This record gives sequence, C-alpha cells and structure tokens, in this order.
Amino acid sequence: MMGGYGDVQLLRDDGLRLDGRKIDEMRPVSIEAGILPAADGSAMVTHGLNVAVAAVYGPMEAHPRKIQRQDRAVIDVRYNMAPFSTSDRIRPGYNRRSREISKVTAEALESVVLVERFPRSKIRVEIEILAAEAGTRCAGITAASVALADAGIPMRDFIVGVASGKVEDTVVLDLDKAEDNYGQADLPVGILPNTGEIAFLQMDGDLSPDEYNLAMEYNFKAAAEIHEVMVDALKRRYEGGEN
Amino acid sequence: MVELVPTLLRQELARLAESDQRIDGRAQFEGREVTLETDCLYNAEGSAKVTMGKTIVYAGVKFEIRTPWPDRPAEGSLMCGAELRPVAHRKYEPGPPSPESIELGRVVDRGIRESGCIDMSSLCIVPGEKVWGVMIDIHVLSDGGNIFDACGLAAIAALRTAIVPAERFDVGEDYTLKVNGTPIMASFTRVGGRYIYDPSEEEELGGDERIHITLGDEGHLHSLQKGLRGVFTPAEFAEIFDVAQQRCGELRNIVANQEGN
Repeated sequence: MMGGYGDVQLLRDDGLRLDGRKIDEMRPVSIEAGILPAADGSAMVTHGLNVAVAAVYGPMEAHPRKIQRQDRAVIDVRYNMAPFSTSDRIRPGYNRRSREISKVTAEALESVVLVERFPRSKIRVEIEILAAEAGTRCAGITAASVALADAGIPMRDFIVGVASGKVEDTVVLDLDKAEDNYGQADLPVGILPNTGEIAFLQMDGDLSPDEYNLAMEYNFKAAAEIHEVMVDALKRRYEGGEN
Repeated sequence: MVELVPTLLRQELARLAESDQRIDGRAQFEGREVTLETDCLYNAEGSAKVTMGKTIVYAGVKFEIRTPWPDRPAEGSLMCGAELRPVAHRKYEPGPPSPESIELGRVVDRGIRESGCIDMSSLCIVPGEKVWGVMIDIHVLSDGGNIFDACGLAAIAALRTAIVPAERFDVGEDYTLKVNGTPIMASFTRVGGRYIYDPSEEEELGGDERIHITLGDEGHLHSLQKGLRGVFTPAEFAEIFDVAQQRCGELRNIVANQEGN
C-alpha cells in the first residue's frame, strides 16, 4: 500500500490539485533530440520538473558473448539517477530500484525495436536522470524511444511513458512528487501510440477495477499528447538537414 | 572496449603538426567554444552545465550535515567526484568507478580544495557536533575530448552558485555559500610531438601524455597532474604554463560574466 499519510491534503477545495492542475491534466513536456554529440542517438525529456537524458550506442558487437542471441539483438538498458537529481544526495552506483527499472525498460524496448534485424548484436541504451520529481521511469522510456529513433534504429512504434494514480480517492493523471509520496496508487505504463498496445506496466497501491480503467484512459490520452511532442522533436532534428 | 592502435590517425596528426596545424583547424593553443549555464538542475543546491566543443558535462552540489572529524572539530568538508558513465561515450563500460574517473574527480577536487576557495571553518555549524559536508558530483554526458577542463569549470561554477539549504536541515536560514576565488584548469595533450591546448576526442585518441594545470585568481598553481605514458621537458612546461595563465583567465571571465547576468 502506498500513502498512509491521511493528513496531507492533495486536492484543493476548488477541486484542483496543489500545483493548480486539473485531475486529468498532465505536467508540461518538452523534448529535444540529438543533444549528445558522442552518442549514435540521444534525447532529453523534460516532464514537469523531471529531466531525463537518453543515449543510444549501437548496434554493436554483444559483449560478453554469453548475452548474445543468435536470432536477434539484445537491448542493454541502464537507468541511473545522478547523485544530485534528488533532494537528498544519492550515492553513486546501481541499486535494486535502478536495476529493476532497467530490466523492465529493456524488455519493453525489445518489444518495439526490430531486434531480428541485428542478430548477435547489442544496442546500448543509457538513461540518466538529472532531476527527479516523480515520473522518472516514464520520462526515461520516452527519452529512450526518441533516442532510438534518432539513432536510426528500426522500430515498429514508439513507446510513450506515462503514469496516472490516485490521490484522496480520486484518479489523477501524472502524479507529481507530493502526490507520489502521499497518494494511494501509481500506474506507470509504456504505450505504443500507433497500435494502442502496452509494452511497459507497473503499478502499486490500491485501485478498484473502475479506477484502473479510468487511470488507463487518462494514460492513453496523455500518451497521444506526448507522442506529438516526440514526433515534433524528431522533425525539428532532421528537417534542418543537419545530422 | 579496446581501441585499436590508431596508427593512421597518429601519422596524420604528426603530419599536420609539422606544418603547425591541427586536425580541426585550430591553432596550437586555441580552445573550442565554451558555454556555461548555471542553476540548471532543479534538485541541486548549486549546478552548472558546461559544453566545450562536443563535450557536455553537468555538475551538481549537494549538502549534508555530518559530525566533524575528531582532529578538526570546527571544520566542514568538501568532496568532489566524477562519474564517467557509459552514457558519455561508447568506450565507457558500466561497472565500479574506473581508475580514469577516479583520477578525474581527484584532480578537479585538488584544484578546488587547494586553492582555498572554501574556508572549511565556515562550514561549521556546532563545533564538535555538526558541520556541513559539501559534495560536488560531476556527470559527464558526452565525451568529445578534454573532459578535465570541462569538469573543472562545471565544478567551480556550480559551487559558486550554491545555496546552503539550512532551512531544510533546521539549522537556520538558507544562505549563499561563500566561495573566495575561481580556480580554473587548463589541459594540454602531446599531439604529433608537441603540446596542444584543449584536445579534441581525435587528438586524445591519437595523442600521448597530458598535463593538467589548475591556477587560482592570482595565477598561482594549485594542482598539477601528468597523465598517460610520456615525458616532457622543463622548457615545454614553461611554454604551456604561460598559455595556461591566459586560457584560465579567459575561462574565469566566462564564470564572472555568467554570475554578472
């Protein structure tokens, strides 16, 4: 169960949220593609106060050999939070949380990348969180799929990372930090905007079946909005003729 | 990942050096374009983004309250670390900190620490009980060559914008960290037999040893480091030392101009 802090008011008397958003309103999202010159593809996603950077390297030879797959590429994802990304400094290095997020993110990306095109190879995806205010895994997934596209890696669709949740028994779109800390549920998903499929799914807290359906409805609505921003970022990157 | 010995690149760099040229058209001691942005990371108490050519680094300052070392009961502490994460280049592998990233962090740390720009006694809250620990974390996002200078610049620029978060720790009101000075690093790599300033990625790949010089406001030396295989003469050092004085002054002006805005 999340939350348990019943004394924290997360919805104002006028029905809006503490930061003034409506319950089905997303924080502002902006995306820039191709920001890291050393990488084969890259992107920076600013989602509210979150800043996620993704770099893609490859396809390259898969090391060590035991990770090689004869019939497809493997996607090697590292999600990492910078020491200065949170209120209290994070000790550098991998932890259980970042390992788990890396694993499920890799599996989600392997579901959309045409990995059969690159047998025995590896595609490295590095996700660095520079500022964290709830929603970094989703911002990371969005950044990773723009970076993969920027690297020219063939995919059958994007994945858009979005989350809805529940605060004060109300389903809300895109939890901010306070809502994440004191809310009742969080439902982060990775949506394929063109096919409407879901490649990433996590949830914790307490949701009724109806609440789940509403949260998912909000997520799909937000995914469509973010998808436009993703496409726009890639257009801006390549329409100028610069590569 | 093992880089193949870039024999052809080395030959080309040597050929260019003979006619006083560099592979990207710069003069021997000319730097690339530098940009500096401060207060750019939401959760850091001080922050900076530096780009030098294709190199991009971020630095963030965080504070913690700790008990002082027994032999220095009225002094806080400063720590500077760098992470060469795999995001920055295909040559960087995941894993525990590499010797290269440890060297990088420590060279930047020494330049800042030894310049005396932070008075450690100003970081004391309650002698013998509570002092501030200041941590500068440097994150290299893109290694396009000469990450040392970029990291040094980001670290001091972030430190100079830091706000001590006293309110959050219940020890008074927030205040600007007092920083007396702007130590700046200048780095040189031997390429084609001679030293050049601000090596690019290609020049590092096809070059030899490197020398890092950190100078304070008065032009005093605060940190020196020679890295990689190779030797140099006192006369060679004298030449690059003069260049370092000029280049450090220019970068110090960039920090001052950014703060003036």
